[in-house]
Amino acid sequence: MLGWGVDRLRADMSRLLAILFHQGVLDEQFLQLQQLQDESSPNFVSEVVNIYFHESEKLLRNLRGLLLDREFSDYKKMGIHLNQFMGSSSSIGAKRVRNVCVAFRAASEQNNRAGCLRALELLEHEYCYLKNKLHELFQMEQQRVLAAGVRYPLHQQL
Amino acid sequence: MAALQRVASSLSASASSYGSCKGAGADLMFSDQFPAGLRVLVVDDDITCLRLLEKMLCRCLYNVTTCSQATAALKLLRERKGCFDVVLSDVHMPDMDGFKLLELVGLEMDLPVIMMSADGRTSAVMRGIRHGACDYLIKPIREEELKNIWQHVIRKKWNENKEQEHSGSFEDNDYKRGNDDTENASSVNEGAEGVLKGQKKRNIAKEEDDNELEIDDPSASKKPRVVWSVELHQQFVSAVNQLGIDKAVPKRILELMNVPGLTRENVASHLQKFRLYLKRLSGVAQQGGISNTFCAPLDSNVKVNPLGRFDIQALAASSQIPPQTLAALHAELFGRPTGSLVTTVDQPALLQASMQGPKCIPVEHAVAFGQPLVKCQSNISKHFPRNVISVEDVASGFGAWSSNSVCTVGSSSNLGGMNSQNSNMLMDILQQQPPQQSSLSEPSRSINVQPSCLVVPSQSPATFQAGNSPASVDQNCSYNRSAMIDYNLLSAQSNNSSLNIGQILNGDLKTTGVSGYSGSVSISPLSPCSVDPDNTSQQGRSSTMAIRAVRQLPGLGPNISNFQGSYSAKSSEVLDQRPLRNLGFVAKCTSIPSRLAVDELESTMSSLDHEKSYMEISGNKVKQEPNIEFMDNARVGIPTLQQLPPAPSDRMSVFTE
Repeated sequence: MLGWGVDRLRADMSRLLAILFHQGVLDEQFLQLQQLQDESSPNFVSEVVNIYFHESEKLLRNLRGLLLDREFSDYKKMGIHLNQFMGSSSSIGAKRVRNVCVAFRAASEQNNRAGCLRALELLEHEYCYLKNKLHELFQMEQQRVLAAGVRYPLHQQL
Repeated sequence: MAALQRVASSLSASASSYGSCKGAGADLMFSDQFPAGLRVLVVDDDITCLRLLEKMLCRCLYNVTTCSQATAALKLLRERKGCFDVVLSDVHMPDMDGFKLLELVGLEMDLPVIMMSADGRTSAVMRGIRHGACDYLIKPIREEELKNIWQHVIRKKWNENKEQEHSGSFEDNDYKRGNDDTENASSVNEGAEGVLKGQKKRNIAKEEDDNELEIDDPSASKKPRVVWSVELHQQFVSAVNQLGIDKAVPKRILELMNVPGLTRENVASHLQKFRLYLKRLSGVAQQGGISNTFCAPLDSNVKVNPLGRFDIQALAASSQIPPQTLAALHAELFGRPTGSLVTTVDQPALLQASMQGPKCIPVEHAVAFGQPLVKCQSNISKHFPRNVISVEDVASGFGAWSSNSVCTVGSSSNLGGMNSQNSNMLMDILQQQPPQQSSLSEPSRSINVQPSCLVVPSQSPATFQAGNSPASVDQNCSYNRSAMIDYNLLSAQSNNSSLNIGQILNGDLKTTGVSGYSGSVSISPLSPCSVDPDNTSQQGRSSTMAIRAVRQLPGLGPNISNFQGSYSAKSSEVLDQRPLRNLGFVAKCTSIPSRLAVDELESTMSSLDHEKSYMEISGNKVKQEPNIEFMDNARVGIPTLQQLPPAPSDRMSVFTE
């Protein structure tokens, strides 16, 4: 029964969110983000998060490009990218990503290239994890909406 | 709310005078729904944040316009003057620096500008304030913070209204920037409008030439705030010296300085502080206490200053110097175009420099913070004899002056800024010590005196920021930063004089040395030459780190790559055993901040990789660096990492369901 699926999906979503909070992947800023979603912008969260993904991937590409360049020396530029990454990550509540950015920034401020490379790897790893989890969440949400929508006409028929 | 209505009427009048803009909101603004309808312009190159802010501001019932480029925002503001009430801008933007935008908006449109940034470090926030930001928000920004931004609009309007009411006290530079909007609307000064506009032009020109004075509110109720920039202070000091410190009266100083817009009261209060400062210097110079052993190892290294000022300094150090001599020395130092560093260094620091002997750093507060400089001094003296004095003395000057100035910060002078200036210089100086092995690094950084009266090292202020980064990195972070933050604040704001001195530098040392966040000075706890078998103990003490800093500084250059992570945990016992002991290090400051600082770095670093690889990261020269320490200290990072589920299986689990 599809109606039953809605509740199950909702439970799954809550569970996933709880895990993510527990792991420190997300923090309460994400809750704020969720609260901003209302009737006037029903897809606000996924909209913003998708923007975030889009921008972050650009940033990560830039960072990787900078670091892999053998003649790389522009730590300042890297710092700027990092700053932006930090800002957007913290604004959506991506706590772990943000923390790695902090360490990354520290390494870049010492002009520590090896440290930066490591930090970049970790950053990419954390980012991927976050992205996957959030995608899961959105998929579940979509399914839930669908399931709820399907249920509705059934009720009407009753 | 009569005042509010008055503001409202002036605002709506001004809005209607710019008919083309969609200023209909202006009428709404101060109606019953206030602050709903406040017209906000948000500028941020980060689209994520832009979207978020837009949504949050809409929720606050504000009228929001967004812009992802600063140049576009400026264009918008110029085209639609009077259509916005407040501007929110990010600090770091690709096409234009946020502070530049801030200045321009303030100058041209006189709107309140609120800065935002992910960088919440004290130094960054300080910069924002010095550039005149009404407020500085740290990302992530919460809705509650945005709800309150209307206060800046009101405050600004009220201050401007007050200025107009006291039309009798108009003087050329009593207006920070002209208030065209309210001037046009106000009925108080119809006749004076032309004058005011003229003043505004002159004021702007003046600001472009010589932006020394920022006077917020010239109304009789509040003293205008004068920013004593380095240049202004130099003028002041030379005037004082000309008159003779005993005979220097504010009126005459004012005449000599010949700075338009400066009032006798400004000079008087600054003079008072200066006198206190001199007194403090002479008092401090007398304090003995450094053991001879402390001096001894340095003697051989220190070369006599070819400038021959050491005699005076030795004298100064040993006996009380009357203020006149101090002032004279000050002038002498000031007058001599020594390295660029010296001339641009803040005067009190120089004065302090003149006080101190080269060898023993008899000023004991220097014990705490002179140490890192001691060694440096010895090195520097080889190459930059002139800098010797300034190096150690910026530090002590920094300590002394900031503590002194801090005590009187209640009055209007902007001495807090000096602290950051001094600390910037301090960091600068610490950076400047050339590594023993390598060739000379640049002898000094030229410190740019920017029009906004902020003395900023020409290199990126990242050094100072980096130094502070442990403190202010992360408010959300689970590591307890507050102690470190407080410590930095303490160093800037403490009211303890002598105690403060020791603490300040130590704190700064800590910040620079400990975490290695500082790009300029990363202080390795181990000598590059020898292995310390005692390295295993774990208690982090800042004093230890300070000592290590001393020891290692000779080996450091501006681009340190031998960042050592484990310096966090060194016991004081270890310290004692080291040959550093003869430095007679006395002060032991609280270790908490340093430990915390290291903790953060360590935990993040440990989360970066396993211990061993951490060594690779640091790329340090000493291979035997034990890694246990930071693992132990890295309490927080590891659990987080451990919670990371095994990658593939977990991710797939939901889908397979």
